Amino acid sequence: MKKRVIIIAALSGLLLLNACAPASFQREVLRSKSTLALLPSWYHEEVGYQLAGGNHYPGNQALANLLRQADGAFMQADLARCQILLERAQRIASRDASVYVRLSYVYWVLHKTAQAEQMALRALALVAADAQAKLEVARLLAAIEAGHY
Amino acid sequence: MSWLLKLSLVGVVILAVLMAYLDAKVRDKFEGKRWALPAKVFARPLEMYPGLALKPQHLQQELEQIGYQRVPNVRTPGQYMIDGNEMDIYRRYFSLFDGAERAARIHIRFSGNSIDGLWLDGEPVDIARLEPLLIGGIYPKHNEDRQLIQLSDAPDLLVQTLVAVEDRDFYQHVGISPKGIARAMAVNVQAGGLVQGGSTLTQQLVKNFFLTRERSLQRKITEALMSLLVELHYDKNEILEAYLNEVYLGQSGRRAVHGFGLGAQFYFGKHISQLSAPEIAILVGMVKGPSLYNPKRKAKNALARRNLVLGIMLEQGLISRYQHMMWSKRGLQVVQYSQYQSVEYPAFLDLVRRQLRSDYEDQDLTSEGLRIYTSLNPVIQRSAEQAVSKRLTQIESGYGLAKKSLQGAMVVVSHESGEVEALVGDRNPRYFGFNRALDARRSIGSLAKPAVYLTALRSQRFHLISPLDDGPIKVAGGNGQVWQPKNYDKKSHGVQPLYLAMAKSLNQATARLGLTVGLNNVVQTFKDLGVQRNLPAYPSIVLGAFEMTPFNVAQMYQTIATSGFQTPLKAIRGVTTAEGELLSRYGYAVKKTIKTEPIYLLQKIMQKVVELGTARHLNSQFDATLNLAGKTGTSDSQRDSWFAGFSGDKLAVVWVGRDNNKSMPITGASGALRIWAQTFKDLPLKPLYPLSTPNIEEHWVSVRHNALSAEGCAGVEKLPFIKGQLPTQSRRCAAADTAPDELKSWWNRVFSQ
Repeated sequence: MKKRVIIIAALSGLLLLNACAPASFQREVLRSKSTLALLPSWYHEEVGYQLAGGNHYPGNQALANLLRQADGAFMQADLARCQILLERAQRIASRDASVYVRLSYVYWVLHKTAQAEQMALRALALVAADAQAKLEVARLLAAIEAGHY
Repeated sequence: MSWLLKLSLVGVVILAVLMAYLDAKVRDKFEGKRWALPAKVFARPLEMYPGLALKPQHLQQELEQIGYQRVPNVRTPGQYMIDGNEMDIYRRYFSLFDGAERAARIHIRFSGNSIDGLWLDGEPVDIARLEPLLIGGIYPKHNEDRQLIQLSDAPDLLVQTLVAVEDRDFYQHVGISPKGIARAMAVNVQAGGLVQGGSTLTQQLVKNFFLTRERSLQRKITEALMSLLVELHYDKNEILEAYLNEVYLGQSGRRAVHGFGLGAQFYFGKHISQLSAPEIAILVGMVKGPSLYNPKRKAKNALARRNLVLGIMLEQGLISRYQHMMWSKRGLQVVQYSQYQSVEYPAFLDLVRRQLRSDYEDQDLTSEGLRIYTSLNPVIQRSAEQAVSKRLTQIESGYGLAKKSLQGAMVVVSHESGEVEALVGDRNPRYFGFNRALDARRSIGSLAKPAVYLTALRSQRFHLISPLDDGPIKVAGGNGQVWQPKNYDKKSHGVQPLYLAMAKSLNQATARLGLTVGLNNVVQTFKDLGVQRNLPAYPSIVLGAFEMTPFNVAQMYQTIATSGFQTPLKAIRGVTTAEGELLSRYGYAVKKTIKTEPIYLLQKIMQKVVELGTARHLNSQFDATLNLAGKTGTSDSQRDSWFAGFSGDKLAVVWVGRDNNKSMPITGASGALRIWAQTFKDLPLKPLYPLSTPNIEEHWVSVRHNALSAEGCAGVEKLPFIKGQLPTQSRRCAAADTAPDELKSWWNRVFSQ
């Protein structure tokens, strides 16, 4: 009986502590978890690293700013905001392949593979002259087409 | 029971039923949704960043349109100043579908016609947005517009003045006021005219809410009964708040301005809470006769009425004698141009409404106060409107045509995003009526030719210098008819290389090419380019003997301009509720429908159309480094004049014709093309670089011999080809063939003839 009371008290205490934690902190943890769970394992390692972020943002500061914000939104699983920011970026630099690579990721995460594929194709057309970038986008495209996600 | 009692009983029953009916009506209106709030439609917010090509005068034009005031020193939101090549803007707070932007001071440094530096509240920033222009509303019946306010938003002085002028016993009476009627009569007799009304504020509200303007005893009685019922159910503050929102305060075009909230914005460009005493006097004075005392149209009347109201304010102790003296001398100070007096864009609003139709009922659009954020670019829209209007007038006078006999339409698209940035549906851009950009189905003539040449380039059987026979051609139809197309100059041009046949828009060569590649294949190319209608595989389709709207043509050329990546044209970015909650978003979508390589070659040919062909007028108007591409179009008997042209970022399709479909003395080059040129003459454009692939390779060729050649030989050109699709013959460069550097190219010689 005493044990049961202690367990209930402890659980109540934990629940209370969790409830008292700053809301933003709770959300952040949940979001990061869910986003990372959605990402393919090679996201940071191989495909798209140079094109889709890391520390390599373009020289156009307005574009870089929007891409940075979009990456932040993506990592927080705020995909709607991420898309909006990427579309703003596209209006500024419609021939920047990294915008379309990111859009492709977003659609992929949303399980909209047809659009993910089309965005990757758009990116591919824009990096035709860059062998390394082309290889990376082609791998993304192949992964989408093969349903490796 | 006497008959009198019986009659009284019947009367009581009828009255009770009537009261019950009126009571239900009153409660229904007051407790339900009182007002239908129109959807508000906004242009795109201007995104500013270092490197953006933006002329200072275009930014200034946009600031004026969104109601910013130019001042020597910027102090409050809504003001801006210019100092040499620098501009200071105190941005207002505003919300968009993707969030809000705080009020902030934006400092911009220009270098020529582009932004060189950008600061927000003193800190350098990469990007900043400016509030979007309100471009119109989707109104309920009677085109009522209002901005709902709460009673607490209204200054006490406004409420006190309104009560003093319109209904001094408001807080004492029960909906009707015999005392008020008597006082009004006395005042009116004394003044020798109608100075004060006898209706209480409650009666006025009831009249506006439920009844017509009919002057009859029956209406007066109903009004009185309903006023009593309103007073029975609702307190004075609720009634006053409803009145402040309902009252009619004048007209702005087709839009009826209702309520003091919108009135304050419309006449003074400010929130109701910021109204000054003389401004309050003007608005309260307007209640009696919104047209008669309209400060924008009847300044003299409005001034006299304002001073009369100021007199009442003095008499009631609301203002001091000194204030009365000072304010009576002041001018009206209404704003001449504000967000809330916006110029509307009927053709574009029409497109917005149609595109929303799949997601929203008409009633949602006219009553829920939705906020619709679109892609309209006010600077381009204005330029397009002026170009259509001015050029049509010039063409009419230049060719001796009757005034206003020509009509025009224009669609401007940011082709990579598929967003419509401007739309003109009539030479009078403010006309709410037939929208030619969306509804005028006209024969597209030579605008169809790129589809034919693209079909040829896709077929792997043709390249840029494939020889085409431009000799006379006859095609027998099934019913004994013979189709015999002619060139515009009625001449035949022998054998021509493929790119030249299109650059010169040769009909005979194109007709023969279309038949060679197969009409079904041409129809398939039209489909892949985004033409949704089922085209019959008749020979005449290769010369555009079928109808399309300018908007659909823009969709077709969008696919060409973006190297085969088709994006459905759209005008809307997002929709929110009146409170800013996102309801729907219309994002970027794309589909690759055509391979990049043949489109690359097609774009190269279309650049030659501008460089040397039928659209070469653009050469004298634009920097050659823009590499513009386009196609002119003239339908049979010159009934339609078309031009579709694009740069690296913008695509525009222009149509000129007559509503009665009669012929004109102009072609695509002398009509629509001129409007295109005029529109973009002063606007920044990005250069067009056709998207290449490793499968595209350039070779020196002898065009005349349809053969590969070498650099330095006589009459050779360096032209692009798809790998593996080259001329089959090679021509050796004999010593005698070697051409001096200064020798004109074969291409240039042909075109200089």
